[in-house]
Parts: sequence; structure tokens; C-alpha cells
Amino acid sequence: MNRQITFRDWQNLSAHLDGQLSPSARKLLTSRLSTEPQLAEALEELSQVRALLRRTPVAPTPRNFTLAREEHRVKPPVSPLVPALSWASAVAMLLFIGTFGTNLLGKFSFGAAAPMMSAAPAEVMGGEPAAEAMMATEAPVSDATSIEVTATPEVMLMTLPEATIVAEEARNMPLPPDLKEPGRGFPPDWFNPWLAFWLGLALILIITSLLVRWLSVFFFRRRPPPQ
Amino acid sequence: MDEPALIREAQHGSLEAFNSLVLAYQGNLYNTALRILGDEDLAADATQEAFISAFRALRSYRGGSFKAWLLRTVTNACYDELRRRKRRPSTPLEPEDELGEEMESPRWLQDPSASPEDQLDQAELEHAIQHCLESLPTDFKAVVVLADLQGLDYNEVAQAVHVPLGTIKSRLARARLRLRDCLKAFGELLPAAFRLERERGA
Repeated sequence: MNRQITFRDWQNLSAHLDGQLSPSARKLLTSRLSTEPQLAEALEELSQVRALLRRTPVAPTPRNFTLAREEHRVKPPVSPLVPALSWASAVAMLLFIGTFGTNLLGKFSFGAAAPMMSAAPAEVMGGEPAAEAMMATEAPVSDATSIEVTATPEVMLMTLPEATIVAEEARNMPLPPDLKEPGRGFPPDWFNPWLAFWLGLALILIITSLLVRWLSVFFFRRRPPPQ
Repeated sequence: MDEPALIREAQHGSLEAFNSLVLAYQGNLYNTALRILGDEDLAADATQEAFISAFRALRSYRGGSFKAWLLRTVTNACYDELRRRKRRPSTPLEPEDELGEEMESPRWLQDPSASPEDQLDQAELEHAIQHCLESLPTDFKAVVVLADLQGLDYNEVAQAVHVPLGTIKSRLARARLRLRDCLKAFGELLPAAFRLERERGA
């Protein structure tokens, strides 16, 4: 029986030569080989090609390819500690940046609230609400305009309503620490102990990683040559 | 010392242990590079690059055939060289003798213990095989060199070129078929001992 040899047949013949066919495929191919001389001839040809390739002369190496310790490109295998430290320092640096960014955003929101804070002290210090205080200051002033008085400081103080005096005093009093104007004093408002912690940790990890790398190179280079 | 112990020592940074492995496998790596690249200087460079890369990446070796792992590094080095060559094409120089004449077969291939006839036969065979290998696509060439010239089994070849087993079977069959056609074309040029049976019978 003569059948056209397909590429699948060639592939099976090639695998058969290398003993890479499954038992069932091998059995099938063996039975076909006994009945199809064309297939048997193809196998013989492939076998000869393979034998020829295996007889290819082996070229001697032109030199030895051993590595020299002094060779710049030869670096010692990196200790597994180095990548671990590098990753840890990267994480610490990210946390530092995250904390810094969060604090900075917090600072800007404080800044936006600052103009309103100047009106707040009267209320904070236990005085009347701002609207009442305004009304209280405006009403007597309109009365005062009808009376002719010499405007000495003492007289002015006497004519001022009580709410205005309280507001004036409150303005001169120091603010509680949590209402301090942002950006002033030390440490600055955006400072957070976590910032120092993450930055310090990242720096320590980076320095340790560099030190471990340097030490491994140092000891690698100092190792005595083979006897 | 046995190979696994040498590998373990080399993984811990021992260059001496690694150099023992280099001496054991440099022939395999160099010959693989030579058959893939077809140029002895480029093959030597690729072999050296492969050993340097292997030493750097030794910690990534997780068992299996060490020879296949090393052959993978040299195959990669050859692919890099072929890519470079594609970007900057150049005419390969044939080896020359003392008179500046191109040699058909490099001197290093000659086995001084063989008779002149054997040496000639070997040189002709080498020339024919190298010529036919050159005509193969790089992927096919790498597979046939590793399987038929280096004697790796299919699993080792798959590990070395990092492709599935089925692809290895297919590439190897195609490469052998093309080589068969190419070697047939050489016909009478091949020494009688190496002619394909059909040619001899014809």
C-alpha cells in the first residue's frame, strides 16, 4: 500500500527515531512501516541524516573560557538579602512620600480655613455669637452719633459696647495650640513623627543594602586563588 | 568533586567551583555556538558571554539538567549576536592560510591523528553540514544542533530553548527534512562514506 507521506508522518518518524513516541503511536507506526515501503524508506533517510549530524566533527575550543576574578564583568552572585533590603527601602520611601503628601494636603485645607478662623475667637472664648455682637456694636453707635462728646480714648472706651471689648480682648489673647496659624513655628504643621520614621527607615535600609553588596564584592575579590 | 556539589559551591560565590564546571562544559557550549553562528570568533565571544551570564544568574538555577541550563545561556547569547548581526550586517570572513588564501575548512577541525583522506572526508562533511545548517531558520537550527549535535533529549532541548515539547518535535522534524534535502543536493560532493543511502544506490 502506497500512501502520501504527510508532515505528521515525518514528525512521527522523527520522534520514533529518538524514542519519543507514545507506546500506542509507536505500535501504530511499526505496523504501518511493515506494510508501507515508502514510509520505511523515509524513516531510513531521516535516520541517515541524524547519523550524519552526529558524526559532525567536534571543534576543539580555541582557549579556556574560565572566568578571572579580576575581570570587571565578573560580579559575585548577589546575596538574597540585597534585593529584600532594596524592596523594603522602596516600600519605606513610598510610605514616607504618602505620609508627606497626606500632611501637605492637610496643610492646604487648614490654609483655606484660615480667614474664617479670625472671626471665630469671640465664639470660642465664650462671647456672644458674631451676628449678635455686630448688632450690639452697631446699635449704640447710631445712638452715639446723636450725642456730641469729645472723642478722648477714655470716652471712646466708655462708649464701646461690652461685646466689642470682649472681642478686642479675645483677638489679643494667644490661640490654643491646635488653632495656631499654619506654617509658623517649629516643628512646622505638616511635620509628623511618622515622616521622620519612614524616611529614617528607608535611609537605613538603603545604606544596609549598599553595605551588604559592597561586602560581598569585597570578600569575593579577596578570596585566595585556587591551589 | 561531583557536579551538584560544584554547582552549590558556585551558587555561594565560589569562582573556582564555577571554573571547574566551565572546563567540563566549554566544549559543548563552544560547539553549539559555532554551529549556530558559523564563525569561530563570534562563537568564542558568545561562549564567554554565556559563561559570564551563567555565573551571574547561577542562583536562578533550580535543578534539572545543568548542561541544558548552560546551553540555554549560550543559545540566548547566539540569538543576541544574530540580532546584532541583523542590525549591522557584515560579510563573514573565511579563515585564511599563511598565503592569505581562504581555507575551505578551518585548521582547527583537522584531527592530526587521522589519515589525510579521513581529514579530507571530515572537512568535506563539516563543510556540507555547516552549509546546510546555515540555510535553516535560527529556531530550527538551535533545536537540531542541541538534539542531534549535542545529544540532548527532547525535554532538555525544551528547557534550553524554552518552548513546549510539541514545538520541539515539530521543529526537529522540519529541520531534519530540510537538512535531508540540502544534503541530497550535495550528492557526489559528499565523501562516499557519508552519502545518503539513496544517493549511493542511485
